[in-house]
Amino acid sequence: MLRRTAHPSRSLSNVYLKTLRGYRVAIIGWGYGMSLLVLELVASTSAITQTAAGRASLTQIASQFAWNAAPVAVDTPGGYATFKLGVGILVMAIWPLLAATRTLRGEEESGTLDVLLATPHSRTRIAIQKLAAIGTALLGMALVIGVVTWAGGAFFKGGYGFTDALLFGLNLALICAVFGAVALFVSQFVIERRRAAGWTAGVLLVAIVVDMVHRIWPGTDWISAFSPVYYYNLSKPLVPSYGSSWWAMLVMLAVTLALSGAALALFTRRDIDGMVPLPRRLQPPKLGRAPVALPARDWSLWSVYTRGLRASAWSAFWWTVAIAGFAGWMVFAVKQLGSALSGIDSQSAVSSILNKLGGGDVKLTTTLLSAIFVILPVLLMAFAVTQVNRWSSDEEEGRFELLLATPQPRTRVLLARFAALASASIAIGLATLGVTALAEALTGLPLDGADLVAATLGMIPLGLLIAALGYLGAGWLKTSADTGLLSLLLAAWFLLSFVGPELNWPDAILRLSPFYYYGSPLLHGLQLSVILGLLATAAVALSGSAVRFALKDIGR
Amino acid sequence: MTEAMIETGQLNKSYGGKRGIVDVSLRVEPGDVFGFLGPNGAGKTTTIRILMALLRADSGSARIDGLDCWSDSVAIKRVIGYMPAEPALDGNLTGGQLLEYLGHLRGGVDQAYLRQLVDRFELDPTRKFRQYSSGNKRKVVLIQAFMHRPRVLILDEPTSGLDPLNQQEFRRLVVEARQGGATAFVSSHVLSEVEEMCTRVGIIRDGRVVRIGGIHDVKDIKRSELTILFASTVPLDVFTTLPDVETAESTAGGQGVHLTVKGPPDAAIKAAARYDIVSVTSHEPSLEDIFLRYYGGVADAAADGASEQVA
Repeated sequence: MLRRTAHPSRSLSNVYLKTLRGYRVAIIGWGYGMSLLVLELVASTSAITQTAAGRASLTQIASQFAWNAAPVAVDTPGGYATFKLGVGILVMAIWPLLAATRTLRGEEESGTLDVLLATPHSRTRIAIQKLAAIGTALLGMALVIGVVTWAGGAFFKGGYGFTDALLFGLNLALICAVFGAVALFVSQFVIERRRAAGWTAGVLLVAIVVDMVHRIWPGTDWISAFSPVYYYNLSKPLVPSYGSSWWAMLVMLAVTLALSGAALALFTRRDIDGMVPLPRRLQPPKLGRAPVALPARDWSLWSVYTRGLRASAWSAFWWTVAIAGFAGWMVFAVKQLGSALSGIDSQSAVSSILNKLGGGDVKLTTTLLSAIFVILPVLLMAFAVTQVNRWSSDEEEGRFELLLATPQPRTRVLLARFAALASASIAIGLATLGVTALAEALTGLPLDGADLVAATLGMIPLGLLIAALGYLGAGWLKTSADTGLLSLLLAAWFLLSFVGPELNWPDAILRLSPFYYYGSPLLHGLQLSVILGLLATAAVALSGSAVRFALKDIGR
Repeated sequence: MTEAMIETGQLNKSYGGKRGIVDVSLRVEPGDVFGFLGPNGAGKTTTIRILMALLRADSGSARIDGLDCWSDSVAIKRVIGYMPAEPALDGNLTGGQLLEYLGHLRGGVDQAYLRQLVDRFELDPTRKFRQYSSGNKRKVVLIQAFMHRPRVLILDEPTSGLDPLNQQEFRRLVVEARQGGATAFVSSHVLSEVEEMCTRVGIIRDGRVVRIGGIHDVKDIKRSELTILFASTVPLDVFTTLPDVETAESTAGGQGVHLTVKGPPDAAIKAAARYDIVSVTSHEPSLEDIFLRYYGGVADAAADGASEQVA
């Protein structure tokens, strides 16, 4: 009998190619996702910049948001896209942050690195190959972003060339690489991957704020120069008149190489599954809590619900700080812009944009705040996506096996975990309401109390909706597919509601996004029927997920 | 005929197109310690996961204490202690916290007995689960299976990862549970372990139960391998003529012999003792080896007989 010879796949021939193979979807997903975001802005702006009045309006409104990004040539599509993306484009840094923490620390946690290190290759060689794969993936994303941004720019008359678009992608890849290197470095000092990712996300937020300092207080560039984001913003390749700063790009490259090199040096010297001890002065204080013996008498161990609540507590706390902090800060920022807004021509294109996003008269500061507040439910929904990921990975990694060996009905387990998620979402909503109300009282910004309640607590049904859809998807999909699809859905809804109106898309299309129903509650409140409709949809999805979970095979 | 504590009938499960288990029928009487033997991938864990209602059978029935494993799973789990083959628990909780959490989900357990188990297996409950060695992780899972004094124990390869002392302690615990009236269903691929602990045995291979019987009924599958080195050359026919010696190979230029012996090696050892022995090494082949070398293609034929024995 003729025996078929199995040819080994070339993509599995070494660590570099094997790692890169795992990043294929990310390269395409993030590459196209980010470039489509740029294109949407270029497309929507190209129409406004056709007239002198439109260009003037863009310049006027952009100057009021200089804290977000420097308004450079905002009357051009490339300039406006660069400005409007602002620090938002740095969402792409999430990928290298996660990839870098997964690649060494994550593999140590799962034990896969032990197997790899048992092969006759040095630690350095294996680590370098893995890092090279992350670098190649970032360059791949940069290339996709560059090519698509160039093609779209040519179609919509963006006013920039092929090299400019490629440099835009490269600049983005470099800042992402910096935060990947930070994540890798931090991973050497903490024992858990999640903690490394959390600390790096904190560094990212601090870097963004430090970069903003010089745009709010002139003459403080020396402070912002400590932030890598400052060097990213020194290049604006989509604004040909401004160009790119090669030395700024080299600074980012140097920081990446220095941090990665330091991380590698530490990795090759420490124990696997161990960490580099911090100097005594930098070590967190020990809480002096006695080791937990039997019985632990811990409230979080009473039930699946309390355990779910405790497991998500830290994550919920940081999301609360981010969401409530952002909302409170925006109240202060909008109050300061109050006088400038009064000068905007109510017939201008900018007025039209604000009206579409904010849902009211542009002369009111509340309209601007309303336009900004639409980001709040997006953030809460992002939190919900992270919690869905936790639920799905618990099943995938076999953590339900012993739980379901106890006399707990499957449906109760699912509902208890969802209730914990809902409780955390409600807490975030209430904290946001409290912080915003406090900021309102301190600034004296005239906001309607009932509308403020609607704007902050109204985001909770949206969070529950995406969580319920995520639970439903987890009934069939693997964790990565479920989280990926959910993120994509969130991005699609975001684009529909925040770019769709600018492109004058038909109402029937806009209705596909739940943000459409959220509307502008800070101005118009939120109808009970809308809340009930969103909750009913979430309940249907949750019921479906409960039925599916009760009937499915529980496996790894 | 008394009602079986665990009973499956024509149980089938496949994973897409891949074989899981085929027509698995078995019966475990109250008070039995039933050993479920089979090589890796034979279908032991699939059967157990169906009993635990973690998997839903494609067809057939599975009952514990007269209740249907799927539709009455919550009621059944009140009386079951389960130990999975690959424990996965929240790594951020200590062993003590995990035991308390699982105890709460069972409506509370006797804390004194729990502490006794922790002491007995010398588990440090103050360490986080992810910091435990694999053996200590097994201890946590083992203790949680016994801590509520279950009437039925379902244990999937319980001793894998435990050191010999703890294996011994575990076997004592199973014996005590049995003396207290519990029934146990223990999967393993180590024949001697099952032999020591179980009253009845079922053998599964390629998803089918190929044999079920009392522990003495399946002793004939036991083999031991002896490697004996002599001070001088010894003729091979000294061993080939012995009734229990299945194979004999000459090694070390005629000064050594490798024997495969069915049943007790008493005759082979006595025959060898007539010569000057330098060394004797004995080991039990794995169940997988036994199946591959001695059962080969006859397993399928044996499967037909198995159903008769069950009936």
